[in-house]
Amino acid sequence: MNEGLKGTEIVVKCLKEENIKHIFGFPGGSLIPLYNELYEETDVRNILVRHEQGAVHAADGYARASGNTGVCMATSGPGATNLITGLLNATMDSIPLVAFTGQVPTSAIGTDAFQEADTFGITMPITKHNFLVKSTDRLSWTIKGAFKIANTGRKGAVVIDLPNDVQQAASKEYHHGEVKFAGYNPNIVPNPLQLKRIAQKLIEAERPLILAGGGIIHANASEDLRLLAEYLGAGVATTLMGKGAIPENHPLSLGMVGMHGRLGANKMINSCDALLVIGCRFSDRTTGWGLESFAPEAIKIHCDIDSSELNKNIPVDFPLVGDASLVIRNLIKFIKKYEDVKKETNIWRKRVNQLHGMCEECETTKHKEDKLTPEVIIKTINNFLDENAIVTTEVGQNQMFAAHYYITKKPRQFISSGGLGTMGFGFPAAIGAKVAKPDNQVLDIAGDGSFLMVCQELATAVAEDIPVVVAVLNNSFLGMVRQWQELFWDKRYSGTKLGTIPDFVKLAESFGAYGERVENVGDVEKALKNAFDSGVVSVLDFKIESETNILPMIPPGGRVDEMIGVGRCQHR
Amino acid sequence: MSTQIISVLVEDEAGSLTRMSGMFSRRGINIHSLTVSPSEKEGMSRMTIITTGDKREIERIEKQLNKIIEVVKVNMLDKNTSVVRDLCLLKVYADKENRAEIIEIANAFKSNIVDISIRTITLEISADPLDIDRFVETMKNYGIKELFRTGVTAISRDIEKKSGG
Repeated sequence: MNEGLKGTEIVVKCLKEENIKHIFGFPGGSLIPLYNELYEETDVRNILVRHEQGAVHAADGYARASGNTGVCMATSGPGATNLITGLLNATMDSIPLVAFTGQVPTSAIGTDAFQEADTFGITMPITKHNFLVKSTDRLSWTIKGAFKIANTGRKGAVVIDLPNDVQQAASKEYHHGEVKFAGYNPNIVPNPLQLKRIAQKLIEAERPLILAGGGIIHANASEDLRLLAEYLGAGVATTLMGKGAIPENHPLSLGMVGMHGRLGANKMINSCDALLVIGCRFSDRTTGWGLESFAPEAIKIHCDIDSSELNKNIPVDFPLVGDASLVIRNLIKFIKKYEDVKKETNIWRKRVNQLHGMCEECETTKHKEDKLTPEVIIKTINNFLDENAIVTTEVGQNQMFAAHYYITKKPRQFISSGGLGTMGFGFPAAIGAKVAKPDNQVLDIAGDGSFLMVCQELATAVAEDIPVVVAVLNNSFLGMVRQWQELFWDKRYSGTKLGTIPDFVKLAESFGAYGERVENVGDVEKALKNAFDSGVVSVLDFKIESETNILPMIPPGGRVDEMIGVGRCQHR
Repeated sequence: MSTQIISVLVEDEAGSLTRMSGMFSRRGINIHSLTVSPSEKEGMSRMTIITTGDKREIERIEKQLNKIIEVVKVNMLDKNTSVVRDLCLLKVYADKENRAEIIEIANAFKSNIVDISIRTITLEISADPLDIDRFVETMKNYGIKELFRTGVTAISRDIEKKSGG
């Protein structure tokens, strides 16, 4: 008699149909059936992490590097609750991710059973969508629906809560083909009339500027963006999530805007007469405060795949719902006809090129001082890494130094926690990125505080042979909070001094990883070479000054034109 | 600030009510009333939500509701072109002296008497929520023992367009 497939067989079958080759997970009582199914599985490889937070961030990094949906797994109760930060991290940055969580048997739900948590309730407000599967008959439909929701429209995390008995029961029900939801049809085709109006405004503009967000990277629209910018002669500034949307060595690239953005990019936002914003949600870190003074002279055009972002934070003149790639391609079609819009010689374009050149000069010239500074280290990293290298960051000063000084030339090669600002993201994300792109160099620009939150994943990287490099900018402080305390809180360094604990070299070595301490400017390049040549996961402990600041910045509550610490910028 | 009636057609899935109400609390929006009932479509329910906000907030709510996967259709109902009803059950203190007077007022409000005891009268009224508010205010004079309201439900009127106009 044909009993159909077991729940766990359905899960693996669906994963294969979704072309998932790697999952990041950690087992537990409620997940034993599923792990049993994976025991002899060769097409779907489980990467055993050492903490569930590592699993969800690694799946996130995997998705960012590849564009495919990342998959992670955790058991019921504490396993599931350990995923929470990472689920919200992925959802806030619109990253496609599916998380399977074990659950106590359906008969025990609601009894406060051992390792029971209301995963469905807890993850509801922090995911794009979530499911509790109560019958094996619904399992294949649910999994296929989850993958569809995660990686279409505005992407995000989806949780599938899988009770133990649902994993073990058999069912003949198997959903073939696409899952349809009556209320979910992500509208991605932009309105042609609005497109035409927008194109007209851009053609008429004398000082056009594009603000490129992460949506451009999610839509794989970077190449089209470059073409559009060239047709318009528009400068391109990016958000943190948009870094890599345009090659940062392109003469029209102005770098990142916002609180820790570049002075030039922020100035251009304030002086442009048409601002085309694509795939960006106007986060407060991008706009600064005083929203009425953001791009005060500009006609504001906002294109996003999520209509709820339009007019949410900043009222705009021309909202447009649509997939970034379709928006840009259609705009190019309209604009292409006007050969004269290129305006090779106009003053605005010259100014954009000039600002780009100044930043480039600043990024590439060697510092005269022989102190080991974050700038010098990242500039050396710039020269050392090849063009396919992927850089991830932790959160804090290390992240902003990387955003400023690391020159990203291609999309999906700068991976950072934007919306949630999750310390401890960069290292597991690097592991995920390396699994997705095993032939690319992968380096995590880290801080000592962030790295220590997830350093147990060194065991994962050693055991699973995932040779990424962690460059710890070690200032023995929680640097960004300390910087705020120095600048805005009267240097009262409360709760931010970490001291020189631990010895990162010995820590690395205890895991079987490569470790090296770097104290002199001259040794940076050699250390990077040693790390990449070692063939194992490596930790480079860069001893930098304790009290170094990442400047310029917009002070909290300040406007884009109120940047402080601009002394370092040549182009005031 | 204005009051908005929102009618939402939503798929019957476990947790969809929590997902809806959770969106309101997460975005810091008040719900004045919320009713859920079966709709004409199998497997779908209709929720009627009353909320307040300025134009931009109301627009935001509409978009956020549309983002919920189970939400199939969101209708922002206009009070002037909709039939809006609330049902109220109200137990008021009544004795020999004022019983007749209470019944007279109830009749004037087109309220039905559903139960009478020695000390109380129980009244039922189905009407526009503002009319119910006035009815309840009036009854307060006699002393309200218990009051139940179901919350608002609403349906749009089909307004026939004149041909040739």
